[in-house]
Amino acid sequence: MSSHREAPEISKDPVADNTDTYAFVSPDKPETVTIITNYLPTEVPAGGPNFFEFGNDVLYSIYIDNDGDGLPEITYEFTFESKLSNPNTFLYNTGPIEKLESPSWNKRQFFTVTRIDESGRTVLGSKLACPPCNIGPRSTPDYSKLAEEAIHSLSGGQTVFAGQRNDPFYVDIGSIFDLGDLRPFQNLHLIPTAAEPGVDSLQTLNVHTIAIQVPIASLTSNGKVPSSVMSASAVLGVWGSASRRAIRITDGAKSEKSEVGPWVQVSRLGSPLFNEVIIPLGLKDEWNARQPVADSTFLSHVQKPELSGLLPVLYPGVFPELEKLDKSSAERADLVAIFLTGLPEGIIPGFQNYNGGKVQAEMLRLNVAVPPASKPNVLGLLGGDLAGYPNGRRVIDDVTTISIRAVAGLTYPLVEPKYKPDEAAEGVTQGITPLPFRTQSVFPYIGIPHDGYDFPSSTR
Amino acid sequence: MFKLSRLTFSRSRSSLASVIPGPGGTVEAVTPEGTSRRAFLEGTGAAVGTAAVVLATPKVVALANEAPGASVPIEPAAKPVSQSGPAPYEPVTAYVRNAEAGEVTVMAGQQETTYKDPVLVKRLLDAAR
Repeated sequence: MSSHREAPEISKDPVADNTDTYAFVSPDKPETVTIITNYLPTEVPAGGPNFFEFGNDVLYSIYIDNDGDGLPEITYEFTFESKLSNPNTFLYNTGPIEKLESPSWNKRQFFTVTRIDESGRTVLGSKLACPPCNIGPRSTPDYSKLAEEAIHSLSGGQTVFAGQRNDPFYVDIGSIFDLGDLRPFQNLHLIPTAAEPGVDSLQTLNVHTIAIQVPIASLTSNGKVPSSVMSASAVLGVWGSASRRAIRITDGAKSEKSEVGPWVQVSRLGSPLFNEVIIPLGLKDEWNARQPVADSTFLSHVQKPELSGLLPVLYPGVFPELEKLDKSSAERADLVAIFLTGLPEGIIPGFQNYNGGKVQAEMLRLNVAVPPASKPNVLGLLGGDLAGYPNGRRVIDDVTTISIRAVAGLTYPLVEPKYKPDEAAEGVTQGITPLPFRTQSVFPYIGIPHDGYDFPSSTR
Repeated sequence: MFKLSRLTFSRSRSSLASVIPGPGGTVEAVTPEGTSRRAFLEGTGAAVGTAAVVLATPKVVALANEAPGASVPIEPAAKPVSQSGPAPYEPVTAYVRNAEAGEVTVMAGQQETTYKDPVLVKRLLDAAR
């Protein structure tokens, strides 16, 4: 969850595993969009002696489709390089790391960010420093300062960060993958136990974040800031990916591996939970390797999602209307719109994120003309907050509850007004309220990583 | 007629080790330490076998080496084509280890052999352009 170890192959390749992608109008700089892609799922903060880092052999990409053709018109590429100052010690650091140039910090990582658009490739920055991992009070006594030093200003009013953060995604993994259990409703489960509050499985774990903040006018198809929510140019399709070279040679005579061949995509992520829940196990690796423009192949899994059929079975008598819908010939056009085309004008008053409908392509679709909410609702569009998921995705959005409710039929009336959703579809929830340190109000909007001294993998 | 493509890409894993050029041939397997694989096999009494491969003459190889840009009428030049299907589960793979030394490493199954084969190196380099 949302795409942590979601497919068989990528689950064995953490540094390339895109766990979450976010795209939203920056709440404190509404003339910009912030796009975040996270990697390295379920990092244990106490990760020494070799603390986590990005893959130097991985190409990380953020794609923007601004004309609805399912292909990127703008790409940001990120590549990384590690530097070892002192190979004669086993230590990541030989003293406190008080600044990014600290001589006691032994293993550092740097990155290059490149923008590719119709004008060609432009290196926006190189040798940009990542912060260290958050080790503990002796090694990283003022981590916030280190992280702030690692926020880099680029040309054109762009800002970038790449490094460790806490994982802001909140989900009850342990419950959901125990036969679709939701603790607050498990008394109604086919195998019932007493109801309990949800457990935030990721709340003490970290990820590695790539975040870039870009002026809206640098992303739209016409180079302007759209003034109307209904403008086609207001909608940006966004997704992230990771790619590896086609061939790797491990030579016993060399300490470093040789690689050659084109970059081959091994992970991608737009909408949360799509590959995780919608795509069946036998197709997940293929989905990760495909481009969104080819997603019509997976249409049937959106039109008749497996989870929709499971809910009435796992919660007997709780979803009778959904059960009827599942057994009918009706196809879930609401989910097709949410995941593959965006919601056209006329479905939700004053809103659309339909970028043309030329292709069925899975990606986040962000209408940049919708201003940031002054009082965000974690349920996004379902909570009446037009600035939240599935209009792009903010870090705070409870995408698990939103997605479960949508699959449970809550969004079906958008396309079939006569359908009356089950009462449970509106009330079902994973029952988690994330702790406040998971996010922050300024770029990169994700809270600092948990340190390894105070956050072991299990709670005390 | 040259059949280096067969030597390199069509050989089964089991026959790979036994296909060693005869006297005067120019394709020579070398271990990473530089020991001749042919000498090793001969020393152990292993049969060279009847390699179904016609090897380059020294003159042709010299031409290939000395005039890398020249058109050597060995076989038709490689032509780019659309892939006919996905890569096999364990593809036979060759890579140029040392272009100047004419060394090419071939991996098939769990076997890895490095050959001194300037002609094949040239063909690969030509194909890489």
